[in-house]
Amino acid sequence: MSQCKVNIESRKKSLHYFFEKVVGPLGFKFTPDEEIMNFLLEQEVILEGRHGIPFCPCQPLRNDRVRDMQIVCPCIPFHRKHFDEIKRCWCGLFVHKDVLDPDKLPQLPPKELNHE
Amino acid sequence: MKKITVYTLSTCPWCRKTKNFFTERNIPFSYIDYDMTDETTQRRISQELDAAGATGFPYVKINDEVIVGYQPERYSNALGL
Repeated sequence: MSQCKVNIESRKKSLHYFFEKVVGPLGFKFTPDEEIMNFLLEQEVILEGRHGIPFCPCQPLRNDRVRDMQIVCPCIPFHRKHFDEIKRCWCGLFVHKDVLDPDKLPQLPPKELNHE
Repeated sequence: MKKITVYTLSTCPWCRKTKNFFTERNIPFSYIDYDMTDETTQRRISQELDAAGATGFPYVKINDEVIVGYQPERYSNALGL
């Protein structure tokens, strides 16, 4: 049990290291809300263990490879316009670099932003 | 009383907050964890999401009103709180 916990923590650190390098050039950073960040990273490690891929914890797998690949974290490039407008990714693991208080960012779907 | 149905993911913190919103106010609601349900139900929910232009969870139905995302103010407004 304790070994499993260590592995989860170790993998969380690895994902954090990798994701930071990917999202930085896209204008995003990890949310300053550490509780949410830790929870989401842990869920991604669990999803990776279940599916082999760290999918977004807040978007559904559809059993459609093309759609499912668009929610592999960090999924910002596939939803750039939407996430730039709400200044966060859907699950809130990442926010725009200028965001100091992520609680003020509403979780709005694309339809409410007149994208469709 | 308004009928409240919530579609969620067990891995989603905003889905947990949504459930807490209704639980803390003693408001009855039903929910389905998309990732924990059977394939037929997943397909039905997936179609509902697409029809509503929703890309993720939580997905809340208060009578006929659909609210996508964790939006507590909209839940309150829809319930007249």
